[in-house]
This record gives sequence, structure tokens and C-alpha cells, in this order.
Amino acid sequence: MIVAAWWLLSLRYGAYVLPSPVAVVSGLRDIVTSGEIWKHTAASLARIAVGFGGAVVVALLLGLVAFLSRLARGVVHDVLAVLNSTSVFVWIVISIIWFGLSNWAPIFTTFMITLPVVASNIVEGVASVDRRLLEMGDVYHLSGRRKFTAIVVPSTLPYLVAGMKVGFGLALKVSVVAEIFGVTSGIGYVMNYSREILATQMVFVWALVMIAVMTVTDKLVFDTVSRRLTRWRA
Amino acid sequence: MKLEVAAVGKDYLIPVIDSVSFAAEAGDFVCLLGPNGCGKTTLLRIVGGIEPATRGRVTLDGHAVIADQRHVRKVGVVFQEDRLLPWMTLRDNVGLVLTPLGLAAAERAATADRYLKLAGLGGFEDYYPGRVSGGMRQRAAIARALAIEPDLLLMDEPFGALDAQNRRIMQTEVRRIWRQTGRTIVFVTHSIEEAVAIGTTLVMLSARPSRVRELIKNDGHVERAKLVDDLNTMIMEEVERQQGAGPGA
Repeated sequence: MIVAAWWLLSLRYGAYVLPSPVAVVSGLRDIVTSGEIWKHTAASLARIAVGFGGAVVVALLLGLVAFLSRLARGVVHDVLAVLNSTSVFVWIVISIIWFGLSNWAPIFTTFMITLPVVASNIVEGVASVDRRLLEMGDVYHLSGRRKFTAIVVPSTLPYLVAGMKVGFGLALKVSVVAEIFGVTSGIGYVMNYSREILATQMVFVWALVMIAVMTVTDKLVFDTVSRRLTRWRA
Repeated sequence: MKLEVAAVGKDYLIPVIDSVSFAAEAGDFVCLLGPNGCGKTTLLRIVGGIEPATRGRVTLDGHAVIADQRHVRKVGVVFQEDRLLPWMTLRDNVGLVLTPLGLAAAERAATADRYLKLAGLGGFEDYYPGRVSGGMRQRAAIARALAIEPDLLLMDEPFGALDAQNRRIMQTEVRRIWRQTGRTIVFVTHSIEEAVAIGTTLVMLSARPSRVRELIKNDGHVERAKLVDDLNTMIMEEVERQQGAGPGA
């Protein structure tokens, strides 16, 4: 139905505005056979891995700090609130000023946008650790390290996974936007390039690739991980 | 193991416990009774070294119990809630509290299994707490407290969340475990019937700020039904006094 409607609309408006499903499918076939799909997807994913991975590492450190000190928790909370309300475009512009037209611009943008999402989840998770369980740990003289690994980490993990799931989706969307500027590979770059050479069907093809990457990681990675983590739930 | 509670008092914004003294010999089963809000739980937490006392001192075999300090004596606590870690099996939950004792992993698992069995949970060692009933979770919490082979076992209304039937079963079980292990137990309850059914020493606290109103040896010299009646009269008097006094008194 949708494909039929799409096809009819594409006839009405022409290939520049809305390419036909046939053109999109053949475009997809082209990039798969030429290997271009892997090249640009890999380039985007590599930047996400660095930017988003860095954000997760820093978020974990912030979570640890928030656990150790109540004062630090307040500070971290405020900083994250500020970062959370900063627009993607601000970071894109700043990163171009700081890093020029290089790989680091999309990486930095991805880092700055996903950090508050992942970190606020972890900090919330740390704050929600059941005090009564920690008291139980004290009563039985568990060491600080044991309390951390046996009580704090398992309570926080579901928050971390939820934060990473949202964060990864955001990372993909944001890094693609940042790739419009200054780099010569990646899904964002190739979409913008296709637009410039008036190959609208390729814009659609790459959009589909993005959706596929998002869906696959969501289903394969995050759903599996959260299922494994909560296998103790009744 | 001898427990001595000497003139212990606790103030929050208002004085909660005025001055409470009692002693327990090795193998005693002490029940703390009293009207709601008279500081039974607070007293238990002071005895367990979870909270500091404002006045007085608690000693175990002459060694002072001080809050936030690692005491030499081992104290097992069963809370009102089970406080099991939901992401660990019953065996691992019990095994966890054995880690500070320096046992090897295999030994921890064996000890955990032994005490789970004692608590009637043989066959459920690999279950997660969420998959067993509330009564079974509380049994696991008791197994955990016993597994460290405590000098003193503190229980704070451990069956409060259970239905009447499970409650009775658990009372019998605790009494059996107490006889088998010979531990000294301090047990907080608001149920007079429960206290009379399982305790050897009954400490009836007064209304807030609480003192010891009556200390009764439940050794069969007084008929149980009469004891229950007497204690019920006392607790009603204390409840009235507490309500009459109001929170600011």
C-alpha cells in the first residue's frame, strides 16, 4: 500500500522531489555491489564508536563520582542540565572552529550530545540504589568494593543500558548531520553529496541504510543485552 | 554470648527511648514488645550497631557495640523486608555475606546451601528471590543471618509482611532453628501472641519516651493465656498513654 502510494506520488512530482521506489531499490543494489555502502557506514560507525564510546566512558566516571560524593552529584546534575539544553548546531559550529574540517568535528559533536543523555541516566541509576540494601551490606561488613560490585553496579546497569540505547540512536542522527561539514566519507557526507549532484534517489537509499543500522543495533545489541541483564526478573 | 543493654536512650527531635536496660544470656530468645512508635526498631538498630545511642551502652560479652565501627562479635540481622539482592540467586545472596569471613567460593556455596536447607529452602538454592514467595524470601534472609554463625541474631518484625498462616509456620520454624542452633535472639514484634509463643524473655516497653515497663520470664510458670491477657492489658494502657501524651511530650 505504502509503496504503491509512494510510487504514484513519485510519478506526480518527478524524480528530483520524490524518486520512485524502483530507483531507490536499484540505487541500494548499486551501493551494495560497489561496496560503497560498507565504506560510508563503516566511516560513520567508526566516528560514532569514538565519540559515543568516549561519552559512555566519561559518563561512567561521572556516575562513579556522583556515587562517592553527594556534593559532586549536585554539580554533575547541573552541568548535565546545561549540556542537555544545548543545541546540536552549537556543537557543530564550535567543533568546526576548534577542530577545523576534520574527523574530530563530528566525533566531538557526537560526544557532546550523547554525554548528557548517557550520564544523566547513570547518575539517576546511582541515586536510585536502594539504601536499605547498602545498609544490609554494612550490617554484614561487606567491603566498599564488594558493595559497589554486588549492589551499586547491578542496580545501575539497567539505567546504563537504557541510556546507551537512547544515546546510540542520538549518536547516529547527530554524527550524520555533523558529517555534512568538512569530511569526505560517512553517511551524512554521501547524502549531502547526492543532493548536490541531484541524485535524490541516493538520499533516500542512505536514509534507508541509516534506519537499517539503527534497527539492527537496537534489536540485536540492546534488546539482547537488556534481556540478559534482567533475566532474574520474575 | 551475653548481651547487656545498659540505660540505653535515644533522642531524635524528641526523646524516643528514655532509658532501657535488659540482659540476655547465651541461648535466650528475647522478644521486644510495646506500642507502635515506642522505639522497638530503633532499640534493635542500636543493639546491632547500625545506629548510635544517645545515652547508655550495649555490650556483647563485655565488648562495647559502637555504631559504624566494626565490632569483633558477629551480629546477624533480619530486617522487616527481606533485603535480598534480586539479581542474585538465593545461594549467592547467602554466600555474599560470607565473603568478609574469608571463605573460599566453594566453601561459601556449601555453607549457603547448608543454611538454606536448615531454613527449609533445600532445592531452591538456584532460584532468584523474585521467583519465590514472600515467606521463602524471609526464610532466605534468616538463612543469610544464620550463615555467618552470629553471636547474636536480631530480628525486626520479620514476619510482618506475611499472612497469618505463613506467620505461624515461620514462628514454628524460627523456634526450631533457635533450638537447633542455640543462638541468642532478640526479636521485635507487635504481636503479643507471637512473643508469648516463641520468646523466653519478654521485654514490654512503655509508651514513648520508652522505658522497660515489665520484664517477664516466659518459662512456663505463668499460664500462656493469662500472660497474653496481662500483656494485652498493659499494651492498651501504654497505647492510651502515648496517645494522651501526644508527640511533643
